[in-house]
This record gives sequence, C-alpha cells and structure tokens, in this order.
Amino acid sequence: MFKSLAGRALVPVGIAVTGFVVVCFLLLYSAIKTIVDRDSAVNATNLADTVLKSARYAMLKNDKDILTTIIHNIGQQKGVEHIRIFDKKGVINISTRNEELNRQVDKTADGCIICHAGQVPMTTLGKMEQVRIFKNGQGSDVISITAPIYNEPECSNASCHVHPAGQKVLGTLDIGLSREALLHSLASIRIQMITFTLMILVLTVGGVTALLLRSVFQPLQKLSKLALQAENSELPATPPAHFPRELDRIAQSLYKLSQKSGSASSRSKTPGRDVDLPK
Amino acid sequence: MLENSENQAAVGATTGQSQRETLIREISADIKRLSAFSNRGLWAVSLFLLVSMMAWRNFPLLPLPDRVTALLGAPPPPGMISLVLLLYTFSAIILSLSRMMAAIEHKSSFCHVGYLTAFFLFYHFAKALDDNYWAVFGAGITILSVESYRIWNYCRENISRKQEQLEFVKKNGRMPVEE
Repeated sequence: MFKSLAGRALVPVGIAVTGFVVVCFLLLYSAIKTIVDRDSAVNATNLADTVLKSARYAMLKNDKDILTTIIHNIGQQKGVEHIRIFDKKGVINISTRNEELNRQVDKTADGCIICHAGQVPMTTLGKMEQVRIFKNGQGSDVISITAPIYNEPECSNASCHVHPAGQKVLGTLDIGLSREALLHSLASIRIQMITFTLMILVLTVGGVTALLLRSVFQPLQKLSKLALQAENSELPATPPAHFPRELDRIAQSLYKLSQKSGSASSRSKTPGRDVDLPK
Repeated sequence: MLENSENQAAVGATTGQSQRETLIREISADIKRLSAFSNRGLWAVSLFLLVSMMAWRNFPLLPLPDRVTALLGAPPPPGMISLVLLLYTFSAIILSLSRMMAAIEHKSSFCHVGYLTAFFLFYHFAKALDDNYWAVFGAGITILSVESYRIWNYCRENISRKQEQLEFVKKNGRMPVEE
C-alpha cells in the first residue's frame, strides 16, 4: 500500500484529517457538556434558593407541619429526587423520605466533606462548590445542592425558639435533582455529533480520494500502460484521449514514440526491404 | 623512470581502494543510522501510550491537584487549555505535512510527547482530565502517527537511495553523479 503513489498521497492526509476532525468533535462535546453541567448546577442552586425562601416564614414561625408540607409538595415535583433539611449537628429533621428522619448524616460523605474537611467547618461556599454529582441507591445520576441556612436577626430575636446571635449556620438544605433528562439530551447531542463527524469524514476523505483517483491515479495508470506499449513497440488501439492538460503532452509523446518504433519494426520485418536500401 | 610510474600506479590503486572502502563504510553507516532513525516515531508512540496510561490513572505518582495549585496558583480554565490544544494539533499536523512535502529530516517526535504530557498535566491540575482525556489522546495519536509516517517514509526513501549508491560505489569506486 505504501509503495504506490495513491498510498503515499492518501495515507498521511487521511490520518491527519480523520484525527483532527475526531479531536475537534471530542473538544466540542466536552465544551458542550461543561456548559450544560454548569447551567444545570445554576438551575439547581436557584431551585434551592426558591425552596429556602418559600420555607423561610414557616421556619421563622417554627411551624414544622407547614414546613414539612412545603418540602413534601416540592419533593413530589417531577425530577426532584430528594429534599432534606438537617440541623447544625447533622441530624435530619425534615425529609421527603420518611426513613431518613432523625438520622445522623455522615460528615465524610461526598457532599459534606467539602465543608467538614478541616477541624472547623467552613460556613460559606461558592455556587459551584455547593454542587455534587453522584449515583444514588437506585443507580440513577443525581445532581445535589447543599445550601446552608444562615442565621438572621429575625431568627436570633424571635421569641419562640431563639438561636444565639453568634451561631452563623442554623442548618442545611440538601436538594437532589435527577440528571436523567440532562443525560438523555447529552446522549442525543453526542449521537448527532458522531453522525455529522462521520459524514464530514466520508465527504472529505472520500471526496479527496475519489478526485485524486479520477484525476491523477487513473491517468497515471494509462500513461504507464502507454509507456509499456512504447517499450514493446506495440501500437495502441486508439490515440490517447481525455488526459488532464499536464499529462496529455506526455501521453501524445508516448503515442508518437510507439507509432515510430512500431513502424520501424514493421519495416525491418518486411521481406525485400534490404533490396531497396541504398548501398 | 618506469619503476617510478609503476610505483605511482600502485599508490593510485591503493588510494582508490581506500577511498572506495571509506565510501562503502560511510554509506553503510548512513544506512544503519537511517534504519535506527526510522523507528523513532514508534518509540515516541510507545512513550506517549505509557504517559496516557499514567494519565488514565490520574497520575498516581504526582501530588494531588489541590496541593499543586496551592503552591503554583490556579491553573488556566479548561476552555482555554482546549483552545490551545486545538491550535497546537492544527499547527503540528500542518508542520508535519510541510516537512513531509519538503523531505526534511527533523527529529521532532519526542518534543510532541512532551507537549502532550503538558496538556495532560494542565487538565489534571484543572480537574478536567476526565472530560478531556480522549481529546488529548486522539490529538497525540494523530500527530504521532503522521510524524511516524513522515520519518519512516523519509528513512525508507533515503535507505533505498543509499543502497543504490552503495552498489554504484562497489562497482565503480566512486559516488554516482547527483541528479
């Protein structure tokens, strides 16, 4: 394959074009995935803020029934995997899953270790640091937001359940959203991009191969045949035609050469030829 | 007088013989060097595969990204690394094809392994290696394949030319006239 002109010309170009298009596809897909992940994290954080604002009044009034109802109603929404509120000690006070109530959260778990890595837990986190992605017990992908519930003057001054003013974080809201729809969209984008990439590759590599074969390699094969005929003093059946301009000159020369050598050999074979020769 | 000319002829024959041997030795050494050089691309690919295996395992011998970023500062954003990777891949392929066209002997394969390792490390410290591993791997395989082909093709052409020269020198005792 590497000895022929076609192999030498097409192999490096084929590798280079295929490789570059594949790298472009991978980088583009990675960029799209990053943007989609970031947007879904922002949406989840906004939802967590909405939940906190909706529940604020119930928390201020220490109305656990209303708070539980709000959390359960939001938890029934499609795509919401879990919502839980736990206190400063990590005990789950309210959850959409009843079996989790009054259980201690593992502080070394994925979402908790971000704040609890040091001896003194962190009290503030950036938007993206609040996000974690994991597989839940059912094996489905979940994006989870951990939003701290901060102490406010209304909380520390309230008559019903006073929190000390020095306590910065009262508890944490943890909300998990299913990534099923997101992964489905990403899979759809991936399939479309693979299809387009394959089509581009077939068009470019196939197109270049076809054009080179038609315009260069086939005429070169014909030229090679003409040269062989000229070498063996054989006259081609028809004059060479349909050659590209650059190769047509060589083809005509080879044809004339084979004509001359053919007529010379036929003359030398004619009986009585020697008689006519001048002495 | 006759003795002197015989001596000169003998000296000339000896000089011609030694010149022929020198040429044969030089050409044979060139063929040997080119044969060894033709495998350079494959060595570079092997080294790159080794680095890729380390990257696949998140560079177990290196310190954690957080410790390195605490020392050196924040890494560039993954988007910028990807942009540079794209430009680098494009430039490397164009450069390699140009060298192939001009039939230049250039020993650049191992430099590319170094650049690609740097991309793996930048993504690793930016915590974006999982998403971009296959992009760097694909870029590496493409660039190193084109480079390997270029080097192998260059060596093969030159070896066959040197072998023709060697045959000519063995017959005639001198180098053939260059085209």
